[in-house]
Amino acid sequence: MHLMVEMIRSSILSATPVLLAGLGGAYTFHANVFNIAMEGMMLIGAFTAVAGSYFSGSWIIGVFSGIAGGLVAALVFAIFVVSLKTDEFVTGTALNMLALGGTTYSLRQLFHVKGAFMSHAIQSMPRWNIPLISGIPHVGPILSGHPFIVYVSILLAFVVEWHIFGTRYGLRLRAVGEDARAVDSVGVSSDRIKAQAIIASGVLCGLAGAYLSLGYVTLFSENMSNGRGWIALAVIILTRGRPMGLLLMSLVFGFFDGLGLSLQGTMIPPQFTQMVPYIATIVALYFYSREKHAAREGE
Amino acid sequence: MKKQVLPALIGIVVALLAGLAILWAQGYPPLQSYAALFSYSLFSKFAFFSTLDKATPLILTGLSAAVGFGSNCVNLGQPGQFLIGAIAVTAFGIAVDLPAGLMIPLSILVALAAGACWSGIAAGLRRRFKMDEFITTLMLNFIADYFTLYLISGPMLDRRMYSPLTPMTNPGAWLPIWNGFGSAFLVAIAAFAVVSVLWNRSKIGYEWRAMGQNPIFSRTGGCRNDSAYLWAMLLSGALAGLAGGLMIMGGMQHRFVKGIGANYAWDGVMIAIVANNNMVATGLYALFFSVLQTGAMGMELETSVPSEFSLVLQAIVVLFVVASRESTRMLINNIAAELRMRRARGRDKGMGDGRHASNG
Repeated sequence: MHLMVEMIRSSILSATPVLLAGLGGAYTFHANVFNIAMEGMMLIGAFTAVAGSYFSGSWIIGVFSGIAGGLVAALVFAIFVVSLKTDEFVTGTALNMLALGGTTYSLRQLFHVKGAFMSHAIQSMPRWNIPLISGIPHVGPILSGHPFIVYVSILLAFVVEWHIFGTRYGLRLRAVGEDARAVDSVGVSSDRIKAQAIIASGVLCGLAGAYLSLGYVTLFSENMSNGRGWIALAVIILTRGRPMGLLLMSLVFGFFDGLGLSLQGTMIPPQFTQMVPYIATIVALYFYSREKHAAREGE
Repeated sequence: MKKQVLPALIGIVVALLAGLAILWAQGYPPLQSYAALFSYSLFSKFAFFSTLDKATPLILTGLSAAVGFGSNCVNLGQPGQFLIGAIAVTAFGIAVDLPAGLMIPLSILVALAAGACWSGIAAGLRRRFKMDEFITTLMLNFIADYFTLYLISGPMLDRRMYSPLTPMTNPGAWLPIWNGFGSAFLVAIAAFAVVSVLWNRSKIGYEWRAMGQNPIFSRTGGCRNDSAYLWAMLLSGALAGLAGGLMIMGGMQHRFVKGIGANYAWDGVMIAIVANNNMVATGLYALFFSVLQTGAMGMELETSVPSEFSLVLQAIVVLFVVASRESTRMLINNIAAELRMRRARGRDKGMGDGRHASNG
């Protein structure tokens, strides 16, 4: 029982960054922007969050600097893709490299370390004990005592679902994805909506980064996003950008990520347990393709 | 090709100026740093040879990405294919001991085959199950990373060492170094020549380019898209695998050390992107990037700018060149449209005058 509780707890913890980035990516997915830059936005957010928290001594400022980092990366992406009309794939890849190079460079430039930066001066996010739930046996330990962004991200899943599928703005966003020229022809600027979608994804990826470096662990290490932005992209494709599906699928991936951690210390070499989430992504993609294929043949 | 040169030059100059501004803003002596950057990469025999050494993997990963992207295969698996190529050559070089005349060509074949196998997985999944190769290749990178880490810290670990690395390969598999010039560079040049001819002059090269421009057109035109796709993926993987293999065969280490891939594979992706998948441009940008990377070490020595600055500079170069390419194209299109409009307006006016004349 204890192991079970531990595993579900760690699933929730590992699911959060994928969920947050995925929710951000849902905006660009529906606006038909191929956002491969999420990985980089997350990495930049993780770095600026640590820097903000370290220099100000406040986790709140840390979280906001994380968001700001993602936002700035998104602005660069938006300027290139929307205003200068550069290719999304090309720009996104370059931005990922800029994020990797820029954070590695700044790590040495600001903190004079290579590889990873740890310090007691980095203030991490508080963990929330939910007053009523924490008393319930079995359920309490699973749901209570997480970094507060975990709860924010679950709430955000519902907000984003409502925003994209329940509001006039969401309708316009999806219309831009369907046919941008049609939206332009009725006097709504599709470019502006695309830029807004990119900025939304930047903010949420920045938040995901802040969670990684101030909530999940309290440090910054080179390339610490470690493919989570790409897994988020895969999850978006698998769920066709539905926030509720994202919530579920990111928990599934969190479970496999956590499974890898729980299997450590068994006979299986740790390198194989660390592969689990990436293999799970390929397997999930296989089932998705098979289903899509079957549906097409059935028509 | 000529149309691309001007925007590329503008982009590079602006990016280098932006780099200058970054250095200046952080209180480093900018001009002195740049002088060190170029003198430590170009202006001595030793510096030039180390630039060529660094260019070797970059040319190959760049070609790998250019072949992939140019034929519409989004192979982002260069990091994994690179590692698998390197580990396969290491294993082969440890297990087999033959004279160099046999060992070197065989090792090259092993590297090509291992890289092709790894990209072949993604190609197979795409052909058989229609799975997007860009996600599968990305995921396979992580799998290759952990798999090689497992091999070098377990089955292939050199027991005499305290950090994860393999024993050295047998000396037969070592590429000679002549007076400081690493002959691995010649292998890369040979690969470049073969791929360029294949890409620009052969039938399958034509099919790849057609597929890269427009897959529907190429199928309608009678190209065998399925087999062309498979071969492009295999060649792309083989080139990245060769880049990894040469890391073991060339240089001085001759063993697989943790982190051997560094950033070569992603640099290759950027090189192909900035070269717009053109083969000659890929080779040139690979040399340019290796100048930046080699020189960055000298810059750190002279003006203590962290050598990671080269990573930032590379990404800025890519962004600015791409932006300048697009905006010059837009500018040229706008000017052309403006000229056409003026000419049309002039003609209208002329016709109007004529009518007046006839009325009169």
